[in-house]
Amino acid sequence: MKRTLAILLANPLSLLGVVLVSVVILSAVFADFIAPFPEHSGAVVDFANFNKPPEWPYIFGTDLVGRDMFSRILYAYRISLILGIVVLAIAVPIGVTIGLVAGYLGGWTEYLLMRLTDVFLSVPPLVLAMSIMGVLQPTLANGMLAVTAMWWPWYTRLVYNITRGEKEEGYVLAAEVIGASKAHIIFREILPNCVPAIITKMTLDMGFVILIASSLSFLGLGVQPPTPDLGSMVADGAKYLPDSWWLTIFPGLAILIAVFGFNLIGDALRDILGAEQ
Amino acid sequence: MIPLARLLAKRLATSLIVLIGVSMLIFAIARIIPGDPARIALGPNATAEQIADLRAALHLNDHIVVQYGHFVADVARGDLGVSLYTNRPVTADIALYLPATLELVLVAGLMMVGIGLPLGIWSARWRGRAADNMIRLVSLLGVSAPSFVWAVILMLLFAFYLPLFPIAGRISDSYAISSVTGFLLIDTLLQGDVRAFGNAAWHIVLPAFALALSGIGQAARLTRANMVETYDKPYIEMAQSYGFPARRIANHYAFRPSLIPSLTIIGLDFAAMLGNAFLVEAIFAWPGLSRYGVAVILRKDLNAIVGTVLIISATFLLVNIIVDLLIALLNPRIRYSQRPA
Amino acid sequence: MSTPTLDIRNLTLGFKGYTGFTEVLHGISLSVEPGERVALVGESGSGKSVTARIVLGLLQELRTARIGGSVLFEGRELDGLNKRERHALRGKAMSMIFQDPTSSLNPVFRISDQFHDVLRRADPRITRDAALERAAAILAEVSVRDAERVLNAFPFQLSGGLNQRVMIAMALANEPALLIADEPGTALDVTVQAQTLQLMRKLVEEHHTAVLFISHNLGVVREFADRVYVIYKGRIVEQGPTRAVFEGPRHPYTRALMAAVPRLTGGGIPDIDEDSPDFGAPLETHDAEGRA
Repeated sequence: MKRTLAILLANPLSLLGVVLVSVVILSAVFADFIAPFPEHSGAVVDFANFNKPPEWPYIFGTDLVGRDMFSRILYAYRISLILGIVVLAIAVPIGVTIGLVAGYLGGWTEYLLMRLTDVFLSVPPLVLAMSIMGVLQPTLANGMLAVTAMWWPWYTRLVYNITRGEKEEGYVLAAEVIGASKAHIIFREILPNCVPAIITKMTLDMGFVILIASSLSFLGLGVQPPTPDLGSMVADGAKYLPDSWWLTIFPGLAILIAVFGFNLIGDALRDILGAEQ
Repeated sequence: MIPLARLLAKRLATSLIVLIGVSMLIFAIARIIPGDPARIALGPNATAEQIADLRAALHLNDHIVVQYGHFVADVARGDLGVSLYTNRPVTADIALYLPATLELVLVAGLMMVGIGLPLGIWSARWRGRAADNMIRLVSLLGVSAPSFVWAVILMLLFAFYLPLFPIAGRISDSYAISSVTGFLLIDTLLQGDVRAFGNAAWHIVLPAFALALSGIGQAARLTRANMVETYDKPYIEMAQSYGFPARRIANHYAFRPSLIPSLTIIGLDFAAMLGNAFLVEAIFAWPGLSRYGVAVILRKDLNAIVGTVLIISATFLLVNIIVDLLIALLNPRIRYSQRPA
Repeated sequence: MSTPTLDIRNLTLGFKGYTGFTEVLHGISLSVEPGERVALVGESGSGKSVTARIVLGLLQELRTARIGGSVLFEGRELDGLNKRERHALRGKAMSMIFQDPTSSLNPVFRISDQFHDVLRRADPRITRDAALERAAAILAEVSVRDAERVLNAFPFQLSGGLNQRVMIAMALANEPALLIADEPGTALDVTVQAQTLQLMRKLVEEHHTAVLFISHNLGVVREFADRVYVIYKGRIVEQGPTRAVFEGPRHPYTRALMAAVPRLTGGGIPDIDEDSPDFGAPLETHDAEGRA
């Protein structure tokens, strides 16, 4: 663990990733203290200062009802990170368990579970989330549900592939010979061997969940106003291009920075932990 | 070629099972909708009698399994029902909007393969050098933003500040193109109107590139990763020890074996563009399935939602089958073994 | 005495890594005369394979490698050649046979395509038909009768022994002056390995090709080589005509190596006392003396 961190900080690219992610996390956590206009995260209007280009004290400009873009972006990061954490906290255990069970037990269990996984993988991710959001009310909780529903199969695939390989390894056979229970073998013997790959994928996915969630809200199917959200900010601002460019460019770059940061770390972790799919 | 036929049959059978599963999934999603679809369809002024009639017509009073049976029977007849939003058959609506989306996705797919793979090859051949680091950074940036962000950035840069490309649409209004295939790049050529073709091509560049950017990055990263692994194989050392030209080793001896594991994921990425196209279409006012899809979803137009998702999933599965066949063609082990692996 | 085909003098090699500089070769000298078969014997990690890769000029392209001393090929200093000239030698004037023939042939191309590329090294303009004809002729020399089937096959469709013959045919196709064989056929089973080695021996004799034969298998070396160098931890510790070395090994490592040969039950190379005074002083300090 210490060694991993040391290598992460030694490489300029992964160091950049650590810096970017730290900035994103700190902005989200301390938004209340950093944001010059914390009240602008809600339904505030200030028509005296609407649609202002970047200028002090509005370093990223103001939106069409006069709210500070910078403050809203900080709060949007908070929503994005919560969404990412919740989605992964639900999707990963589900996906991993199904993958382990299908991979280890084999037979009909394997066939049914993997075909079920295929079903979820056979709808383009965004379309699946869209249709779920479409029939449900667009709230943050439902957004998490929709993204979770499209996310778990990827972990099933990943863990399933590893499990099928590990199943034939000597240590698993040895555990079988001494009569260890299936649950023991699956969770105590095989699972630890999947952990590096899972951690790597989770790091990359923190970025991609943010990306997909912002895509949903960009289409109007995600978090609803007045809650600040990077995707809907871009969507709202896109109508006023090119004149009010700050309405789209700053939230757009905010997405890019967060996802890029997580990707840089994930890439480095993949190299360090040697966890390739 | 017998193994190929067997592989195709097997893949089609699996895909059919998966498609049935997808239809159940979508059907289930469509039925958990809160509220009465008949009431939503008829609006607030409908009488109780009208609602009861529509409920009967839509089989909404039957058991959910019977409803699914009706649904499958209809789909098998090519009937996806009537859109409550446009009041036209869903199939007709999709036929109207799908070609524009497919055209966009196909061009973006060509860009992904045509730009992403060479970048990956370059990166792997010069691994550890400046060119490699440059390509890795750019391709990571490419995958790090959703396509609508790229769409906005590209539009600002190359349509507004440097007005090289049009801001929106598929073709300038001055061209009258009668629709044959629905693909403007083909229809214009069928009419023999080269200038119209050029105009349509000029319109598709920015949206397709915005859609392709993350795919390009992904393809480059994947190709590089697999090729770097391949470069450690004995057969590459053998090629080097015989002094085969470095470019031939890269493009041929290292690339071809690396392409096979990359293709599955490239296929998935390509298929994912069908969904991401929605994001780009919105920015560039591209008259594709996006506006329709988002509109029907916001209006809870069940038939249209189910139909759209089903068509997109079928296309997605078709792409995957094609990719699998391509892999079989490229991998002699599958092509010439008696049992497909 | 004629110019040796290969003359290595005081060759050193080190790698620059994260943990600093590690020297792998501490100054080895060896030579191969035209048409001579010379074996370089040692355990894995002793530096024999990297020596072969330096001769081929492959390690020179590695940025972490630091190479000292000199390698003369047919009297020409490799270090004095530019990249293009060094590249020109590979596959034409010298070629190489690898440990595992099946994994050394590219899995997704037919033998014919790969053979064509090999022949292109000597004659860039050779047509496919001419290449196939020439390939079939060489394959006949290594007792491959149905050359057409073999050429049309992918490596995974052929047996290991057949792939090995293909490798030998490729290696000799351009009439190289020097053939480097790195543990040839170790991945094959023993009888097949013996057969292909015999074929290789016959061919290099006929073509008068000099061979640098790298192996840890003393039995094979005894059969094949005229002269033997024993390498241990990056130093040549003993050298001489095969018979002399086998009948009267002088260095304790050579003796240990010989003691290890017939043991089928495993155990490998027995531990020897490296602190014994005669161990630190290699018998071969300068190659010329040993040969004289």
